[in-house]
Amino acid sequence: MIGAVHSQLGPFHAPHVDWKGMSPLLSVLGGSAAVLIAGLFPGRRTQRVVVPVLAIAALIAAIGLTVWIWEPGGVRPIVAGALSVDTLALGVSVLFYVAGIATILLSLRSAVVRECGAGEYASLLLGSIGGMVLLAGAQNLVTIFIGLELLSIPLYILCGSRVRQEHSLEAGLKYLIVGSVGSATLLYGLALLYGATGSTSLSVIGHAVGTRVPLDDPLVLTGVALAATGLAFKASIAPFHTWTPDVYQGAPTPVTTFMAVATKAAAFAILLRLFDEGLISDRTNWGPALAALAVASIVIGNAGAIGQRSMKRLLAWSGVAQAGYILAGVVVGTRLGIQTSAFYLAIYLPMNVAAFAVVIARMRVSERGDDMAALEGLGRSSPWLAWPMTIAMLALAGFPATAGFIGKFYLIDATVAGGYAWLGVAIVIGSMISLVYYLRVIAVMWMSPSEVEVPAPAPARASPSRRVRSVAGWSPEADVRAQPEVAFVAIACAAATVFFGIVPEPLLHLAREVGSAISSAL
Amino acid sequence: MSVPLSVTIFLPLAAGLAGAVLPRGWARWTVLAAALAVLGIAIWMVADYPAGGAGLRDLTNQQWIPELGIRYSLGVDGLNVFLIALTALLWVAATAAACFREWDRPRLFYFHMALAETAVLGAFCAQDLALFVFFFDLMLVPFYFLIGSWGGRQRVRATTKLVIYTLVGSLLMLAGAVALGVLATPAGGHVSFALPVLAHRLVGKGTQEWIFLLFAAAFLVKAPAFPFHGWMPDAYRAAPIPVLVVFSAVLSKVGMYGFLRIVVPLLPQAAQHYQTLMIVIAVVSILYGSALAFSQDDARLVVGYSSVAQLGFILLGIFALDVEGKGAQGAVLQMVNHGLVVAPLFLIIWALSARAGGSESLGRMGGVAFRAPALAGLFLIVALATLAMPGSANFVGELLILFGTFSTKLAFGLVASAGVALAAVYMIRMYQRSMHNRVGAAVESRDVTRGELVTIAPLVAVIVALGVYPHFVVARTERSTVRQERPAASLEHASETGGQASVPPAGTAELGPLGRAP
Amino acid sequence: MLKSYLPALVFLALGAGTGAAFTALNSVLGPRRPSKVKSDPYECGLPSEVTSSFRFGISFYLIAMLFILFDIEVIFLYPVAVGLKQFGTFALVETIVFIVLLFVAFVFVWRRGALEWR
Repeated sequence: MIGAVHSQLGPFHAPHVDWKGMSPLLSVLGGSAAVLIAGLFPGRRTQRVVVPVLAIAALIAAIGLTVWIWEPGGVRPIVAGALSVDTLALGVSVLFYVAGIATILLSLRSAVVRECGAGEYASLLLGSIGGMVLLAGAQNLVTIFIGLELLSIPLYILCGSRVRQEHSLEAGLKYLIVGSVGSATLLYGLALLYGATGSTSLSVIGHAVGTRVPLDDPLVLTGVALAATGLAFKASIAPFHTWTPDVYQGAPTPVTTFMAVATKAAAFAILLRLFDEGLISDRTNWGPALAALAVASIVIGNAGAIGQRSMKRLLAWSGVAQAGYILAGVVVGTRLGIQTSAFYLAIYLPMNVAAFAVVIARMRVSERGDDMAALEGLGRSSPWLAWPMTIAMLALAGFPATAGFIGKFYLIDATVAGGYAWLGVAIVIGSMISLVYYLRVIAVMWMSPSEVEVPAPAPARASPSRRVRSVAGWSPEADVRAQPEVAFVAIACAAATVFFGIVPEPLLHLAREVGSAISSAL
Repeated sequence: MSVPLSVTIFLPLAAGLAGAVLPRGWARWTVLAAALAVLGIAIWMVADYPAGGAGLRDLTNQQWIPELGIRYSLGVDGLNVFLIALTALLWVAATAAACFREWDRPRLFYFHMALAETAVLGAFCAQDLALFVFFFDLMLVPFYFLIGSWGGRQRVRATTKLVIYTLVGSLLMLAGAVALGVLATPAGGHVSFALPVLAHRLVGKGTQEWIFLLFAAAFLVKAPAFPFHGWMPDAYRAAPIPVLVVFSAVLSKVGMYGFLRIVVPLLPQAAQHYQTLMIVIAVVSILYGSALAFSQDDARLVVGYSSVAQLGFILLGIFALDVEGKGAQGAVLQMVNHGLVVAPLFLIIWALSARAGGSESLGRMGGVAFRAPALAGLFLIVALATLAMPGSANFVGELLILFGTFSTKLAFGLVASAGVALAAVYMIRMYQRSMHNRVGAAVESRDVTRGELVTIAPLVAVIVALGVYPHFVVARTERSTVRQERPAASLEHASETGGQASVPPAGTAELGPLGRAP
Repeated sequence: MLKSYLPALVFLALGAGTGAAFTALNSVLGPRRPSKVKSDPYECGLPSEVTSSFRFGISFYLIAMLFILFDIEVIFLYPVAVGLKQFGTFALVETIVFIVLLFVAFVFVWRRGALEWR
């Protein structure tokens, strides 16, 4: 019988594995296993110091390795063509690592770490980052799916990781169900693409569509539509965004931060890869559909944010709108479009992390949780938190001297040059609507609360997670000093936002190198 | 030899930052010192400017974001030299006026004041379209905070309304600016937003027209012109006076300056195409503003609506598009004049309200002149200048604007000239109601304090000086202004004579001699 | 174009039709003689003592799930073991990495007390 097996197998060739190219991924996944074990050792010191330090070390090592293997324009297929190491994958993965470091810093004093264990928490986070890296470098439909699942499953758990809080569990369950629907849809779409072209390799699909397979082949069209839908769930693009506000609000805030910036970046990395590389020849068919999704996101996201009092919900809706802006870069399908999407994803990270960091800092000391009222008078009581929030809001609204302005400028540039000028106008109109709620946040912080018109209070769901100090004897300055790492993340991100708003050239240069990864772009 | 423009622009911001970290009491002095230093530089700039006009001077031209084709390009010519001086002067006046009061969170207040000056100076000096948009939008941030944090009743509502109105325009302009830069790029060329380059790369007529509308939205909201003035009453009522001084006197000019610097030279065919529309807006603004100024009780709103009317005149001048550029010259002169009269008017309202028990209602003032001859005298000079009394520079400005309009759109010019008379009606009404009339219940008449004199008198002195010698401004601005208008105006000329005119590029004639359109 | 979908549609219709037909026929033609024994939830052996509100210990699920997980992982080892000579050192290294990861998981599960019956 063994002989029969031998004869059926035939000669076997081990796949070529480029260990150098894989090294950042290995560092992250190795770190994931290491922190899991480290978290088993008892002791406060292990939980509070060793595990976070190990996790951050793994992420910093991954960044270092990424810089080491960075090579503009070179696309290196590794692991038998299932993965590629190119500037798009590497550039976006740096965002995941940075978001991961920020998340770990933000959750140092978070109740979630105590409730689900520091080792498990960090391990799940690193595992999710590993999935994102896999996804960003995927060259194959199978890898896309594996990456997406590896990304999602730890996040489902992380969302529900405050097991004693009802709304955290609710968020976890909601995300699990909606995320599974998204994954299933995507899988169905990928299967149809495979059925139409006979290959799971993106490059083969790219060559086949338009030559062997007609552009309007129903199988391809259905596959593209389903794949776009599945990824739209992950990127929270309207009308597949309905889970976003609930999950963002219910999940532990550091996890929300991570989801808002890293998951979005991962979803857009694969959208760029799939549409602007694999299916670029079919652009005439998917272009208008994605453009419609972008406009829907911009309108629905901004309109939805206006009525929000909860900062986490507000940022969730604003994230939907911003996803619409980023999608515009995917739609135009030009190299410039890819660059603008990559650039916007990069600046989206500090803008959002700064805002979330301030929300976290306030949630820990204020009884009002993530309600906008928790920010009242922040400009007077702790300007070191008010300024990062202000800068983040101004940047998200696209004011000059922040990176948001350059991002908008670049996006409009790409849309006009790509023949989608009306999409540029849609971005502009969306920005106008967004002013209403971004400015309200600033007004709450700096201007007297009685003067600010905020929406009627919603039934309070958020409760303060934990007091850093009891209110008696609490001073505003202590707010910053008691959680220096949160203030540090907020200030560093705000500083980066301003810096890249005035000196965007380094980031633009990197974005151009990222754009060079996709050679098929127009 | 002169100071680099970057220093001039960023000096206030540096002082504001320094004030923010220095002890609490120092902020006002660092910012005031910087404003004075900028004023000194600006006076030198004006004094040094050749009487016959010149091309762009004090050029700073460096790469800023090569990836996007944006240059950090600054320059001074006849068009903006007086506006820079106006900005510097009024900021000194406003900052000095603010220094005589105590403000809550002073370091933040003066930081925003300083940031605002930097942004306005940057917008006036920018010679790159994207840089202009950058500074133009940046201006809004400090004013949002200044009005929202230190303003009067309903300030947050007012400032939010202001920002949304203006930023709607600004964002449309952003889209227009990017579209202009990208669409003007010839195949294979590099995107550039530099104004001289764009003046050579005119886009097609259809494209010009929709881009024109985007820019016009931004500039008309900023002015504010008639249908876009919805934010004005709220913002004017809520803003603290020192902020309102610069806001009303300088910021509205940035919009008008934008028309002259960008819209007319870069979109000449569209400017010609929409000339009638813009003139209608201008004339309606004049009549509407004058009528409402006459019927207001709040002194601030009298001045506010009078500004709508005055800016209507400026808009009229810009879009007169006469071949000799008289309308535009008048517009530039009037920009300076209007800034110079509006600032002291608001400071005087401040002084008046201090004497009328804190009320700014005309009904509660009255009889202030009784024991305040000096204040009354200052107010009278300013009021007469505002209503364009012959002998004031405003008279010259309005006359030039009307001459320009008569030569192209006679009918509209005749209607607009009614506005000159209306100005007399509302200004004299305001003067009478506050200074003479029956003494108001809470009025306590006393003459100017030292603080008021220090801030108001120099401005009045400049008004008088310009009234005596308006040619000082006209001579220095003429060449640059005519150059901006020439492409559009020559189109008009061509269409009148029935010939085909080749469009000479604007903004580049610093290389050639002073030229008039054929 | 859409003609290529015709077989799939026919297939779907046949499938749905057959299923529906048998269910319907069953309820129409089938004899119905209900009795107490038939409607009992547990039909062979002893009568059930479990009521509907009975709950299993959570440890049962945990251990059962872990058992299935580790059981399935072991299945992966069989084909490698069978063809190890042909697969060469690459497969050996892969398998060792796999086992190490399993071991990490096992240590974690063990130390966290998931294997203790509570």
